Amino acid sequence: MFKKISRNLFLTMMFIFLYFPIFYLIIYSFNSGDTMVSFDGFSLKWYRELLHNKDILIIILNTVIVALISALIASIIGTLGAIAIYQTKNKQKQNILYSLNSVLIISPDVIIGISFLLLFTVFAIPFGFMSVCLAHIAFSIPVVVIMILPKLNQLNGNIIYAAKDLGASEYQVFSRILLPLIKPGLIIGFFTAFTYSLDDFAVTFFVTGNGFTTLAVNIYSSARIGISLEINALSTIIFVITFVMAILYYIFEIRGGKSKYVKNN
Amino acid sequence: MKWGKMNIKIELKNIFLSYDHTVIFEDFSMQLDDNKFYTLLGPSGCGKTTILNLIAGFIKPDAGQILIDGIDVTNIEPNKRLVNTVFQDYALFPHLNVYDNVAFSLSLQKISKIEKKKRVMDALNFVNLGEYIYRDIAELSGGQKQRVAIARAIINQPKVLLLDEPLSALDLKLRTEMQYELKKLQKELAITFVFVTHDQEEALGMSDYIYVLNNGQVMQKGNPIDIYDEPKNRFVADFIGESNIISAKYLGDYQVKINNDIYKCVDGNFNQGTLVDVVIRPEDLKIVTHKTKLKVQIITRLFKGMHYEIVGQDISGEKWLIHSIKNVMPGEEVFLDFDPEDIHLMSTNV
Repeated sequence: MFKKISRNLFLTMMFIFLYFPIFYLIIYSFNSGDTMVSFDGFSLKWYRELLHNKDILIIILNTVIVALISALIASIIGTLGAIAIYQTKNKQKQNILYSLNSVLIISPDVIIGISFLLLFTVFAIPFGFMSVCLAHIAFSIPVVVIMILPKLNQLNGNIIYAAKDLGASEYQVFSRILLPLIKPGLIIGFFTAFTYSLDDFAVTFFVTGNGFTTLAVNIYSSARIGISLEINALSTIIFVITFVMAILYYIFEIRGGKSKYVKNN
Repeated sequence: MKWGKMNIKIELKNIFLSYDHTVIFEDFSMQLDDNKFYTLLGPSGCGKTTILNLIAGFIKPDAGQILIDGIDVTNIEPNKRLVNTVFQDYALFPHLNVYDNVAFSLSLQKISKIEKKKRVMDALNFVNLGEYIYRDIAELSGGQKQRVAIARAIINQPKVLLLDEPLSALDLKLRTEMQYELKKLQKELAITFVFVTHDQEEALGMSDYIYVLNNGQVMQKGNPIDIYDEPKNRFVADFIGESNIISAKYLGDYQVKINNDIYKCVDGNFNQGTLVDVVIRPEDLKIVTHKTKLKVQIITRLFKGMHYEIVGQDISGEKWLIHSIKNVMPGEEVFLDFDPEDIHLMSTNV
């Protein structure tokens, strides 16, 4: 009984605190008026305006390109990193590497952002597309690693030996055995890295410059100037996309969880 | 050793290996002949699997040489060695079906599809799995996985097949069945098998030659009958089969003093007065009705199907393990008898 009440309470609270503001924002994106104070009637005016706003469209494009590139490169590096951690024979060394990887995931974005700012300044890397891409790749790698490692740990340890024993070179072991077996983790890792990049504000805020901006940073700056309901429309679109991605993620994860690629016995 | 140089298939020369500051092998050497069924037998941690890994190339020795067919392969990668392994847990590729698992090594080479299919079918028919080619690995039983693992390992016609406790995951009936099949397989392929196990029954049943290992050292090597009948030391006698091991004294002239009684024996390669260990197998102890030197009181009796496993205690407190078909009750006092040839004397050294 108590369990039921507390669960319902939790759901209600979550709904009020998290979803209510979002729904409020979404509802007003369809407002024909100019403010979030009164709903004057249903209209797609803000969406239309958004579509004609070339600046915004370019920023959206930038954001997606950065997300795709950083997720792709992070997936490649993350895969190699996960395999390297998996194949580290010294258990203590392996634990240290794993912990260092996990620390990066839980450390605050602001700190990561500042450290990149310092790094790029020291190495005179121009702020803009390049710096944002580098930063996003860097903070996405640990996420990919953490998605792939469990898949590797699930494998029968002798599988790699067996492949070598049967004549496979290091590359063939990777391409024919490891890659197919970690694919579910890799796909989830890619999607997670993609969404991380897509909605990152804190890190991007520190390392962007020279007129290059992403959606999250742009929304922040325009919100400071004064709320236009165009932002509501944009936020609504992002929310819907994120929602769809989340559903895709779970579909993949459920499929990955049912994977038959587990230990033989 | 009677082996001619030409027949030596695998040679481990003065291997030194340590891992995490623990010495596993110190100056370990062994020679394996062509076309023989070898078993490396020993408790876990004795180094038997490590020897397989050294031959396969998964582990490199710190010092020493490994030769296959007289060629030094010490620094050759596993994928370039003409040996194949059947792993304890099979290590089949879960994302490939039976056909692709078996075909794996062929798919790495330039071999026509027709040739490949023929060889895969041959290998699968060899292990009686011809009907299962397109099954998923997850759909197979333990015994079937075992056969796939064997087919996968023999398809490339290796010169040596290494088997790392391949039967340990199977149930008793299947294990016995597979023992016969492996023995047959070795005869048909006419290559060297190196079989690793901790199960002395498997070792005695299948091998041409057994290496009994402990702590990275060869305790005894020889054919199964010699090892069973003439264990060299306490460890081997204890590990192979069940036995009564008693401290005794060799009096010279084929006489041995066990618990203050003097018995005749057939072993005589000891100096007079040497302390020895005596082995008497439980099946050699006979419960008799006439009076003998050895009287015991029955402590426990366990029905084992084929026989009773009986433990008796003599006046000096020594316990005797007896296998007998005679049904005696705990508490009963009986006499035990054995023949001079049933007494095996071992040096107490080693």
